[in-house]
Amino acid sequence: MADRKAHIFRDGGESKGLSVRKLMRNAGTYAILTLGALIAVAPFIWMISTSLMSIGEAQGVRFFPTEIHLENYLLAWKEAQFAEYFINSVQITAITLAGQLTFSVLAAYAFARIDFPGRDLIFGVLLSTLMIPAMVIIIPNFLTVTWLGRIGPIKWINNWPALTIPFMGSIFSIFLLRQFFAQIPDELFDAAQMDGAGHFRFLLTVVIPLAKAPLMVIVVLSFMGAWNALAWPLLVTNSPDWRPIAVGLLNFVDEAGQMLNLMMAGAVITIIPILLIYFFTQKQFTESIARSGLKG
Amino acid sequence: MHEPASSPMKDNLGMRWVQWIQSRFSGRRGRRLKEYLTAYLMIFPAVLLIFIFGIFPVGFALYVSLHKWRLKRGDFIGIDNYVRAVDNLIYVLLFALAIGALVAAFFFLRRLKRDFENWGASPWLLTLPAVAHTAAVFAFIRWTVLLLPQVLDIANIIVGLEKTRALFFELLGDAFRAETVLPAFRLFILLLILSIGLLFIGRRFWRSIHNIVVQARLTMILLAASIGFFLLWFTYMEAMRSYRETLQAGGTPDLWAQVITISSGVVLLVFAWLTWRGAEKQESDRAFWIRVLGTMFLLVGGWVLIGELPMVIAAGDKDMWAGLKITIFYSLGTVPFQLAISLFLAVLLFQQLAGSEFFRMLFFLPYVTPFVASAAVFRQMFSVRPQAPVNQALQFLGLEPLRWIQEPQGVLMMLGERLGVALPAWAAGPSLALVVVMIYSIWVYVGYDTVIYLAGLGNISTELLEAAEIDGAGRWQIFRYIIFPLLSPTTYFLSLIAVIGTFKAFSHIWVMRHELALGTVDTFSVTIFLEFFDKVRYGYASALAFVLFAIILGLTVINNRIQGSRVFYG
Repeated sequence: MADRKAHIFRDGGESKGLSVRKLMRNAGTYAILTLGALIAVAPFIWMISTSLMSIGEAQGVRFFPTEIHLENYLLAWKEAQFAEYFINSVQITAITLAGQLTFSVLAAYAFARIDFPGRDLIFGVLLSTLMIPAMVIIIPNFLTVTWLGRIGPIKWINNWPALTIPFMGSIFSIFLLRQFFAQIPDELFDAAQMDGAGHFRFLLTVVIPLAKAPLMVIVVLSFMGAWNALAWPLLVTNSPDWRPIAVGLLNFVDEAGQMLNLMMAGAVITIIPILLIYFFTQKQFTESIARSGLKG
Repeated sequence: MHEPASSPMKDNLGMRWVQWIQSRFSGRRGRRLKEYLTAYLMIFPAVLLIFIFGIFPVGFALYVSLHKWRLKRGDFIGIDNYVRAVDNLIYVLLFALAIGALVAAFFFLRRLKRDFENWGASPWLLTLPAVAHTAAVFAFIRWTVLLLPQVLDIANIIVGLEKTRALFFELLGDAFRAETVLPAFRLFILLLILSIGLLFIGRRFWRSIHNIVVQARLTMILLAASIGFFLLWFTYMEAMRSYRETLQAGGTPDLWAQVITISSGVVLLVFAWLTWRGAEKQESDRAFWIRVLGTMFLLVGGWVLIGELPMVIAAGDKDMWAGLKITIFYSLGTVPFQLAISLFLAVLLFQQLAGSEFFRMLFFLPYVTPFVASAAVFRQMFSVRPQAPVNQALQFLGLEPLRWIQEPQGVLMMLGERLGVALPAWAAGPSLALVVVMIYSIWVYVGYDTVIYLAGLGNISTELLEAAEIDGAGRWQIFRYIIFPLLSPTTYFLSLIAVIGTFKAFSHIWVMRHELALGTVDTFSVTIFLEFFDKVRYGYASALAFVLFAIILGLTVINNRIQGSRVFYG
């Protein structure tokens, strides 16, 4: 169907084979698309090429390096502590995901498949929190987290709990999974019940293996969220111990802005994991963002 | 005789408990109970976390915003923080909110009445339990508000002491038993019991599956109405307090004059809008023109009264209004361009030439990249150094290098200077630094908008396009008269997301802001963050955050209304 539509757009219905006019028209389209793509990609090219320059070249007017200085990456990784930030971010993402996936799967299953009193009310209240802008809740959450750190056995500020626990309850993930779980046919559950399986067995052996696609979407979105987060980590970290990579990069920009080549190497290091995920899961990735309308 | 019996008795009791529990969970009813328990256990962790970090903070932020609060909690100061932000406008807003709550209560009530007529029943006596539920809700809120400071203080007491669980629970117990808290708690429990009791009695009184829902709806109505009346009273009291304080300080209070003029101005504008809507529906020409004339008069009247607004704005917080102005500039400078470019690209990509997938992937790349990294790169590209790429390009074209992210001057002003025209200060336009942020934003979001537009294009029915084709419509005509109108839901969705996005925007602006730009890129969100992070004014920052919340909610409501009347769903 898409092809038929495309066909109308392409050559006005009738013509077959290559006509000069069609080629010209397509050449125009390609020219515009290429220009757009160049604008989209130029900052990346500049970033990569600067990251390979010597510091003198990086501050000069050259667009491409005369000599490839791969050691910039090593310097950024080791001396500028990007290794530490990188590991921090990976840890933060892993802890957040572990909690978020567990809690969201459980809650989504209950919301989708068990009819309990107050279900719709609770779900509606949870959904309404999506309307609240982050700036409203960031201040009280900072106070809450400080309080928890003072009274509790573990530190919250400058430690993993402040960076991970608030993100473990995600109504967005619950919503996404619930939509999917609700589509699983009842017959499957009835069959499982015949075999004596309860809700948990059914969830573990049937539902989760079926829900790989939405789970993947949540993993990707959480990963991006953790990689993008800036305001909250700025508030709750004040030393490199648990500083995630975005805050690390920002600090580097503020403190060592002169060392352009190292800064760009740091930016490339920050971007690489996200780009890898993007290239490998391109289709789901684009769709998941398009459907959710959010990033981080 | 007692001695030997005691242990079997105990066992017996234990057994009976076990049996009782087993009996509860066996049979059909028991199974259902077990099912419910399982469900509640499953949702518990997620709901708890979302409550603590997503719902409770809204109330907490409101609480903070009503206090003088720098690192530590200071005095309760009512709505002074809001007055500082938007001056006397806050009374108008609160008044509007109160009226809104009352109107909502009225509409809920009307709908309920209609449902009653449909069911052929009039269980108005259920208002009684609803009153109890409402009272219980308010008692609960009162209790938490009184308890909160006590619980917060635990953290201050515990500092320096050895942290043990026993100590914490002792302190927590003290907080719950505090003089002010305990009576409130008792009142809450009393009302809760009353409410639950009446809930079940109410069920006896009217046997219907709608019973609980009707009780809930009546409670909603009562809640909305009492909030409305409370707000009216509260606004009046606060306004009177401020009035007296100004008088005592020897000033001439302009509060009531301003509040009344602005409110009536708003009311006149609303009437103007309603008359205009009526004019559109009129059949005869004469009726139409009379309506239009009326609209004009009302509009002029409305604006004359709203002329008071600049004075209120001047009395409010300059940083906040500047933030709002910058955000509006930012919206106007990004959203239309972003949408136009992406619609164009989407139509081109939709032709599905060889390699469209590849192009789509490249366009999407900026959106995928972490904001901090790409903003850092833009910061360097648009750096003040003459060797920076963008300045290089300018020099290549024979132009002077610019100061880009460090330039606080308005672009129109700069353009005027180049052309030898002196523009007044109000026409300076967004600063060049802000324009860099806009360029960045467009660069980032075009890919996202393109993907959404492509999805929208995929939903257009082929038959329609074919029919147009057969009728001899050209490519432009097909776009103008078929594709563009059919895409209007997508356009509205994207513009709402984008405009709200500019109000929420933070990360990239934070990375790109330079001190020498003199705060000309500080949008509303950034202003809030600065109040909180740099100036450590928690109370005031929370008040500003609520103003932002109100703006976003307002935008959403307006957009929904427009969407309802203007967007064409094919």
